Amino acid sequence: MFTLYNYVLSGNCYKIRLFAALLGVEYKIISVDFYPGREHRSPEMLALNPAGTLPVLTAGDLVLTETQAMLTWIAARFDPSETWLPRDPEGLATVIEWLGFAGRLTQSAGLARLQAMLSWPGDSDAAKAAATEDLRRLELALTDRVLEGGLWLAGDAPTVADIACFPYVALSPDAGLEHEGYPAIRNWLYAIRGLPGFVTMPGIHYLHDVPRGADG
Amino acid sequence: MPARAVALSRDLPPKRVMRADVEGCDIAVWRDPAGRLHAWNNRCPHRGMRLSHGFVRGDKLACLYHGWHYGTDGVCTYIPAHPELAPPDTIRTEVYRVAEKDGVIWVSVSGPAEPGGADGATVPLRTLSVATDEVRALAGFAATPFRGAEPQQRETGRLDLGARTLVVHANPVGPDETHLHVLVDQGADLADRKALSRWCEAARTTAEAGRT
Amino acid sequence: MSLSYARDDWYAVAMVEQLAEGRVLRSKLLGQEIGVSGSATEPMVRASGALRPAELRYDHVWTTLSDAPRPLFEIAEAAEDDRTFVPCGPVTVRCSPLRAVENFLDIAHFPFVHTGILGEEPHTEVRPYKVEIRDEIDEVWATEIGFHQPQAAKSATTAIETQYQYRVPAPTTAVLYKTCPPKPDAWDVIAIFVQPETEERCIVWPWMALYDDVTAYAELVQFQQEIFLQDRSILENQKPTLLPLDPRMEIPTRCDLTSVVYRRWLKRKGATYGAMTKT
Repeated sequence: MFTLYNYVLSGNCYKIRLFAALLGVEYKIISVDFYPGREHRSPEMLALNPAGTLPVLTAGDLVLTETQAMLTWIAARFDPSETWLPRDPEGLATVIEWLGFAGRLTQSAGLARLQAMLSWPGDSDAAKAAATEDLRRLELALTDRVLEGGLWLAGDAPTVADIACFPYVALSPDAGLEHEGYPAIRNWLYAIRGLPGFVTMPGIHYLHDVPRGADG
Repeated sequence: MPARAVALSRDLPPKRVMRADVEGCDIAVWRDPAGRLHAWNNRCPHRGMRLSHGFVRGDKLACLYHGWHYGTDGVCTYIPAHPELAPPDTIRTEVYRVAEKDGVIWVSVSGPAEPGGADGATVPLRTLSVATDEVRALAGFAATPFRGAEPQQRETGRLDLGARTLVVHANPVGPDETHLHVLVDQGADLADRKALSRWCEAARTTAEAGRT
Repeated sequence: MSLSYARDDWYAVAMVEQLAEGRVLRSKLLGQEIGVSGSATEPMVRASGALRPAELRYDHVWTTLSDAPRPLFEIAEAAEDDRTFVPCGPVTVRCSPLRAVENFLDIAHFPFVHTGILGEEPHTEVRPYKVEIRDEIDEVWATEIGFHQPQAAKSATTAIETQYQYRVPAPTTAVLYKTCPPKPDAWDVIAIFVQPETEERCIVWPWMALYDDVTAYAELVQFQQEIFLQDRSILENQKPTLLPLDPRMEIPTRCDLTSVVYRRWLKRKGATYGAMTKT
């Protein structure tokens, strides 16, 4: 059990909601009016997280403010199978490599999205160019995996690396960065959307390949 | 107009849909559960929503917006808002020619989908998007050495790279964007293929810088 | 397109709470560069450098490019002090302002686009409802709409049969009156005020007037943002970008009566900024 300070349109907050849903972990949500209210910069939120960012995760005395650290903690704490966070040295390091990359995606594709959608300040051409570089880098890596007969970023099963990189890549069309030229990314996104327990956020829809719903 | 390569077969498995641009037309290409390909005008006749955002359910392609289902002949079969209604067969999407040969999917918006040349001795390597026109994109590839070997272009889109042979099918998808579908000879092992995938990135850099 | 009709309307161009001394909010209105500045008591709007009228209504700043505008429409519920008023913040969408309004008037997409919230399979059927142009007030009204909703509002605890009424008081504004779960004798009001930047790009200002004493304000905002942002990915993928008014270009079915009447109303009035009038 943990508490998530959440904003519904944030890709980083969504990583936590998605991963918790995939693992079936229950948690409490506190909504923070990031936009338009800028409540993440309120005195109460700054006391909790001086960096003034979202999400924030608390569990007892633990306070985490970095999304990728939260994914790591949830995996280590709630995934006894140890598949989501491999413990072998190479597997673990590969995952952490992609967690670093996920932080870059927030600054490129994530920023380009906020600029296109919510009139965020800054140079949108620069953010989109950086996002294109990152999408290309990811496509190259995923193409390697396809050539090897694989699919996921690290090893033969989905890990927190896939979860960490998923949202801002999936949401890049919000900034006009479409996926047509990235077939490996496209098939990887599809695979994540097909994971049992998958949940959506605005801009990422259910696959609908089978009917969903109360009785479906 | 000639058929255009829109994807490697490998990259469009059964029950998937993707968007392709062919000669300025926006196309939804999808593969039904039996593996057959379909290429349609990428527009639901109801509200103009791109069908490439839709979903394959059974042997139907459905629009994401309102779930209207279309059979493999492009005719609407089901409107969820009116489950008892048999949709008139005038509700249909425009169907284009699509063909598959040597691991490549070809679409034509006018005339038969006659696949372009490629001998059978090639296997799919990768698709990549290059931010320049078709001529400059291919020129960049012809000008980028691989493991020290200068490319020898035997014909447009066919490159000898030392011991390796590449076939490159280009599809211009906009004035400044070209999709390249790259195949390699069967002798290439996994290390070669990964190296060639990186060489494609270097060739793209050359092409986009206009250093040809 | 008809710029002349559109110039005579009022448009929301800022939220009152965005106004701060010295800060200028820049955007476009009907193709013109505008800047909104001033304070919550004295807002200022400039279009291409010239001062324009600035009115405070419904928690937003409204302006017009006309010197003889039509009056801004009334939303009576805005005067009910016991409601919670929620301006949800602007969202930019690359689509025709009229497509944004039409989507807001549509319920058949709920099970596929707002899955698990405003609709879900197998409850996809749209039953007959009424639509009319009320000539005396020059508005489109759709009434007697009922739909099965898994989570109709933040205050809803179970799936309910929700009642809807839609009202289009101006070409780029849509107002929804919806079952209010905690207060069955009242309607929740949810509106979108659409600022046409150009014919192919708009800024949507969602606004709500709710009876809900329980839900945290941040959750009310995010409930509406979640829904509207689910629509945004649809709106940016409709072709053509402009709304077609020729009935042969997009095929409606029975459940699309509101859209059919809305398009007819726009055409009749010549309110075609953002519409495709020729094929």
